[in-house]
Amino acid sequence: MNSAENFLQNKQLAKQANNEPLPPGQEQAQPLQQLLTRPDIWQLASGQGRSRTGISTGYRGLDALLTGHGWPRAASTELLIDKAGIGEMSLILPTLAELTRQGQMVILVNPPLIPYAPALVQAGVQLEKLLVLHPRGQRDQLWAAEQSLQSGACGALIQWQGKETPADKDLRRLQVAARDGDCLHFHFRPGSCVKTPSPAALRLQLKSDGEQLALHLFKQLSGKSGQRVHLARNPDLVRRDQPLH
Amino acid sequence: MLWLCIQLPKLPLEALTRAHRAGDSAPLAVAQSSLIIDANRAANSQNVEPGLSIATACAYCADLQLLERDAEREEQLLQQLAQWAYSFTPVVSPRSAEREHNQPDNQFACLYLEISGCLKAHHGLRPLLQQLGKELRKMRISHFMGLGHSPSAAHLLSQLPEHRQWLAETKHAPTSQQWRQWISFAPSKLLDCNHKTIAKLYASGIKRVSQLLAIPLSEVGSRFGRNFISYLAQLNGTRPDPVPSFEPPAEFHNELFSPSPLDNSEQLLFPAGRLIRELCRQLQRRQLYSQQLCWVLDYGSRGQQPINVEVSRPLLDPQRLIALTKLQFERVELKEPVQALTLKCQQLQPIENQSLREDFFDEGSKLNESYQLIDKLKARLGHQALSGVTLKESYLPEQAWQNADSLTLQSKAKGHHLTPVRAPRPNWLLPRPDRLQQRDHKLFYDGELQLLQGPERIDGYWWQQRRHARDYYIARGSHGSLYWVFQDLTSESWFLHGVYS
Repeated sequence: MNSAENFLQNKQLAKQANNEPLPPGQEQAQPLQQLLTRPDIWQLASGQGRSRTGISTGYRGLDALLTGHGWPRAASTELLIDKAGIGEMSLILPTLAELTRQGQMVILVNPPLIPYAPALVQAGVQLEKLLVLHPRGQRDQLWAAEQSLQSGACGALIQWQGKETPADKDLRRLQVAARDGDCLHFHFRPGSCVKTPSPAALRLQLKSDGEQLALHLFKQLSGKSGQRVHLARNPDLVRRDQPLH
Repeated sequence: MLWLCIQLPKLPLEALTRAHRAGDSAPLAVAQSSLIIDANRAANSQNVEPGLSIATACAYCADLQLLERDAEREEQLLQQLAQWAYSFTPVVSPRSAEREHNQPDNQFACLYLEISGCLKAHHGLRPLLQQLGKELRKMRISHFMGLGHSPSAAHLLSQLPEHRQWLAETKHAPTSQQWRQWISFAPSKLLDCNHKTIAKLYASGIKRVSQLLAIPLSEVGSRFGRNFISYLAQLNGTRPDPVPSFEPPAEFHNELFSPSPLDNSEQLLFPAGRLIRELCRQLQRRQLYSQQLCWVLDYGSRGQQPINVEVSRPLLDPQRLIALTKLQFERVELKEPVQALTLKCQQLQPIENQSLREDFFDEGSKLNESYQLIDKLKARLGHQALSGVTLKESYLPEQAWQNADSLTLQSKAKGHHLTPVRAPRPNWLLPRPDRLQQRDHKLFYDGELQLLQGPERIDGYWWQQRRHARDYYIARGSHGSLYWVFQDLTSESWFLHGVYS
């Protein structure tokens, strides 16, 4: 919900309150209920009462920390990362695999390297639902991302920030597009973007502690933030043989 | 059977002058081998008639403008008219003009339409004839019509003024008795045969067809030949009268010529919209669809520029096609003002029932949405910006995948199904292996690398020029990243090939 809508709704609520100086108890509760159902209002106390609205990440430890017990639906998720190869794709691959199995399209915009088909199939991704886009230039990239998010045809869109940092306005548009199209939006951005504010519903900082993937919940809409969680890599990868060299 | 014959007497002139404005009144004539074939009204009023020699015509009318006859264009126009007629009835047969040497046309080009099947759809004979006449007048094609029980009878009767008079007023098709009366009433010069035969008929005193029909057929045959008898039988309806059936070509080709060149791609959208609407109307009529719209921007003498718009699903909605075209045109920089815009669709395919039926289900509409999205992305970003990935059967890691050009969003293709290797593979593959630095038996890539697993030997293609023999390892970088590295066994140097992200 953008600030203008927010403002209008608040104004309406205030108006109602003024017109009826002494409303009966039930009617007073109704606007409050309306308010509480809004996703941008953070409720600290009723954490348990929340429904599991998110899309499961496939990692139980991470699900427990997220408010909707999964990736926030129809919203942007920012993944801040400096160094590739620490398990950032394995973090979202279970979700993508599940989406493609359900027949939804998954779009990769500007992946840094070639998405390697055998590994994706091993992870359970249906390749025929996967679309890779390489738009030239920042404008085309944002246009393609916004169109895809809005269309309602795709289940998830994964985007890598190019050389240019998108303006706050553009990020907001992407977030609105993800909401309109009911689409998961993952945005990989460099760690240096931590300082700048962002409209994303969830911001995660990804680092490696040498062995495991260390996640830092940097921001979570209507939920706690600041927690850290460590996720182990696939044991098949880190198993150690006798070194030959 | 009810055949309508539409005669097109002024086709040679109209093929050349249809683009002119209606008010033009300069005398014009079409000439072929020093004979006037056709003349417009302004020339007619100055006594220029078909059949005159050019010299005589120029003597009558000093400022007469002469045009060379263009048989090819005439044929094109006739084909277009046949396509137009095809929208009324599926049985159409065009017949081009015939002429004998050094004579003006004795046979005009004409169209035969079998209309008994489409009377009900057009609410009877009268509204159908009115509709045909109206559309022809709108296209500025002069014509006259005749109705008959066979094509040759319709052709004969179309030349009979009394019949045309009757046709203009009639509400119902006449009975076969009436046909006979019309035909026997017709003068014998209207018969569809050469000048020699007609001269012979008149020489023997046969002025009306009735007189001809009174003579025993064997007598007629011995004088005028076998062909003439069969023609008479066709006229009578006692023998079938086959005409070649018109088969509309499975392609669309239309051009719009703009009198003042367009120098802005937005201006192109208006003629483009018109062409697309025409295309959609034709496609809808024939239940076809096109996978590609080929636009050609014609810069006149300075060349042409083709632009292709791809459509992945059967789409007959002009608005959507216009939107796709608009996206494509926005990317184009016009080098020169555009003089003509052409739309070509070469391979029209029949719409299959299945593809339409799918749309009624939820999944189908979702699929439709994704096809629309893909079309939109293709139109703006270009074909090469989109790709899919598929598996490929190969030992070599860099050849175990490939770009999938055509996205098959539908459920898996049946048949051969590839399975990847069981060994752990990286999510990211480098476009080409990156060489690792090597010092004191240690590997460096953004810090020291530590080998965790391996080797997995991949050795192949020794039968080709370049042998690929590699030992693959999983290595961990100093920042905790996992890499897929290999040692080339022939050169013994190390490379980075993938990232486990």
